[in-house]
Amino acid sequence: MVNDMSFLKKSKKQNKSDNTKNWQLRLGIVLVSVVTLLVVVGLFWTPYEPTAMSAALKNKPPSLTHPLGTDYMGRDVLSRVMDGAGTTFFIGVATVLIGLVLGTLLGAFTGYYGGIVDELLMRLNDTLTSMPSILLALVFVSIIGTGKYNIIIALGVIFIPSFARVVRSEYLVQKEMDYVRNAKLLGAGNLRIMFVHILPNTKSILLSTITIGLNNAILAEAGMSYLSLGVQPPDASLGRMLSEAQGYLLSSPWMALAPGMMIVLTVLGFSLISENLKN
Amino acid sequence: MEAAKKLLELNKVSVGFPHRGGMRPVTENVSFSLHDGEILGIVGESGSGKSVSMLAVMGLLSGNGKVMDGSIRFYNKEQPEEYTELNKLLKGELRQICGNEISMIFQEPMTSLNPVMTIGAQVEEMLTLHSTLPREKHKEEVLSMLSEVGLSEVEKLYDKYPHQLSGGMRQRVMIAMAMILRPKLLIADEPTTALDVTIQAKILKLLKKLQTEYGTSIVLISHDLGVIRSICSRTVVMCEGRIVEQGKVEDIFERPQEEYTKRLLAAALGKGEIIEKREIDYQLAPVVKAENYSVFYAEKPKNAQQLGSTLAERLKSIFAGKIRREVVRGVSFEVYPGEIVGIVGESGCGKSTLIKGLAGLNPLTEGMLTMEAKHPQMVFQDPYGSLNPSKTIGWLLTEPLRLHSIGTKEEQRQQVLEMLKKVGLSEEYYDRYPSTLSGGQRQRIAIAMAIMLKQKLILLDEPVSALDVTVQEQILILLLSLRKEYDLSYIFISHDMNVIHRICDRVMVMYHGEIVESGKTEEIFERPQHEYTRKLLKARL
Repeated sequence: MVNDMSFLKKSKKQNKSDNTKNWQLRLGIVLVSVVTLLVVVGLFWTPYEPTAMSAALKNKPPSLTHPLGTDYMGRDVLSRVMDGAGTTFFIGVATVLIGLVLGTLLGAFTGYYGGIVDELLMRLNDTLTSMPSILLALVFVSIIGTGKYNIIIALGVIFIPSFARVVRSEYLVQKEMDYVRNAKLLGAGNLRIMFVHILPNTKSILLSTITIGLNNAILAEAGMSYLSLGVQPPDASLGRMLSEAQGYLLSSPWMALAPGMMIVLTVLGFSLISENLKN
Repeated sequence: MEAAKKLLELNKVSVGFPHRGGMRPVTENVSFSLHDGEILGIVGESGSGKSVSMLAVMGLLSGNGKVMDGSIRFYNKEQPEEYTELNKLLKGELRQICGNEISMIFQEPMTSLNPVMTIGAQVEEMLTLHSTLPREKHKEEVLSMLSEVGLSEVEKLYDKYPHQLSGGMRQRVMIAMAMILRPKLLIADEPTTALDVTIQAKILKLLKKLQTEYGTSIVLISHDLGVIRSICSRTVVMCEGRIVEQGKVEDIFERPQEEYTKRLLAAALGKGEIIEKREIDYQLAPVVKAENYSVFYAEKPKNAQQLGSTLAERLKSIFAGKIRREVVRGVSFEVYPGEIVGIVGESGCGKSTLIKGLAGLNPLTEGMLTMEAKHPQMVFQDPYGSLNPSKTIGWLLTEPLRLHSIGTKEEQRQQVLEMLKKVGLSEEYYDRYPSTLSGGQRQRIAIAMAIMLKQKLILLDEPVSALDVTVQEQILILLLSLRKEYDLSYIFISHDMNVIHRICDRVMVMYHGEIVESGKTEEIFERPQHEYTRKLLKARL
């Protein structure tokens, strides 16, 4: 009988696009897996050496030997996309990880304790979020220098506020729940309540924040590298490849198309997942 | 009533919701009819399909819910001999009938009114949408309807917002909205469940009055048999989506035929029979002794007067940003070993605040408090909120032992398994999550958690109020057997006088933050001294 009721409640939340959501989620998972597969394979094997140049093979359109063509230095675009996507993904994941860990800590403390520290940190948070993140990253990079690892630090710091905000709001709700009171009565300390009792209950909201975060991080890296503030040559990254392809957009469009599509597919995949994961 | 014509007829109605690709039926073959001008009660426990059946009538099923089979027929205004099949109508046509002929009131008066519209505007909207009455007469009509449902100072009320009203007043406004078009049929879905007992009785009286004055037929959905008996003429008993029994209220209540109905009646209308009595030794040292004990709430000041009278007080409150409001005002009482002390009172009287103070969840207290138990444990009203949803039952029950480093891992496991057995659950629950348990099972887990630390005092905050009557009974029996086994004392909060009568040794009545009366349960029930206690007992249905 009780099952019946919970079932009713669930069906209330689900609206008529229930089935649509299902295939959207599936499509998202398929897209992300395909892209991830490419990247993982790219770590160990690429059709050609991504940095191998050849004057004879400059700007060749897609063919059987080079499925996605070659670039202006005669490098195989497919190999470079696989390698470059790896770099972009690494930066994306590392960035989100920094944001996730520090943001969660910050959000948990401010949300749970509240008070003056909460006020101060959240206003600082507002200040950070009020500036365009790419601009802020530019400032960071211009201070600490370019390069793969500096980009990670710069973007990571910028990602802290969004995680902190989400986690804080969840803690504000959860700390008023009876199970938290119960834990207090049993004698659990604040740290234990925060990280053992409450934290697991934030996982669904964290999961969708992580997927959105990955998207933003990949886009931000691409943007930074496009402005040649990110990954430095000869390393490949999707943004870097786009930037290099700019001059050949009309004569050899495949150079831009391949990394561009890669970004589109990844972002689309993650968006579909995060959008439909919420229920 | 015999000759009265049928107003609404449900014939073998099955309502289903989509589930894993197919449709899962929630009600099956529900058939009953409602005569003109009668009050029909539909009674059943949660999930019995009583609300779903009536929502199907209104076309208000949520999600993809559908009437899969059967017909819902409603009398036709233009052609009195004909019936309209509601479930075959288009949305627009159904809406026309719903506004004019059928209306509905819901359980939660807090959420069913729009918080950003004034009371007047909300009631008047019904006229704007459905009535042919000229505009300038609208206000007059609204005001007369508001006073009709027993609200006073209607002129002022017209411009007020829902949050400025009490729960009972809001429910009256809801009724005014539902009745202003003089519908033939009013569906009331648990209209009194969220209200205090003294207000419940008044709302029921109002429904009865409207029925006699306007000849409106009413379908009253309730889990509370007392409510059904007080105003319905016929009743339908539902269980797990089926009709178990239907008939005249007197017949059902006095000569129930079906086993389920008998069980339901026994649990609900046991007239508060005492389950078990136990001699309490009042010579022993009390487990709790409170003297002139006050509990405060810190809240944002609403106006300048609240900041305090002297300059120093004011400055203090301004800097703190908060003022202290005395919720429990200097109460004194004792609880003796093995005793169950009930606290009754309306919502907002301070009973929950008092035990939160005792438990140490609210540090803003004053006065003397001596307590034997170091960590008095508490069982909360809502078993859905008091268990952490992301932990297994085993983890939850081990947590108190882990926190106080009691025993090795293996010993802890043994203790937990033993406790599961004690509260009437099998070992297989160890690895399950709270979401897979029913309300009653969860409450058993919550009680087990409270007992794990072997504290002598357990504070129970409406522990059975969120449960169905048959489950309530089981939990009360469990509480009594655990008291015997572990030699526990309980402080038992409830708004339900029957429950109090059944298990408490002594009762304290709280009113506006003070204990206005206290004594042995029988004495209070037989010879109530305070005006408010009498009112509470009289409101008992």
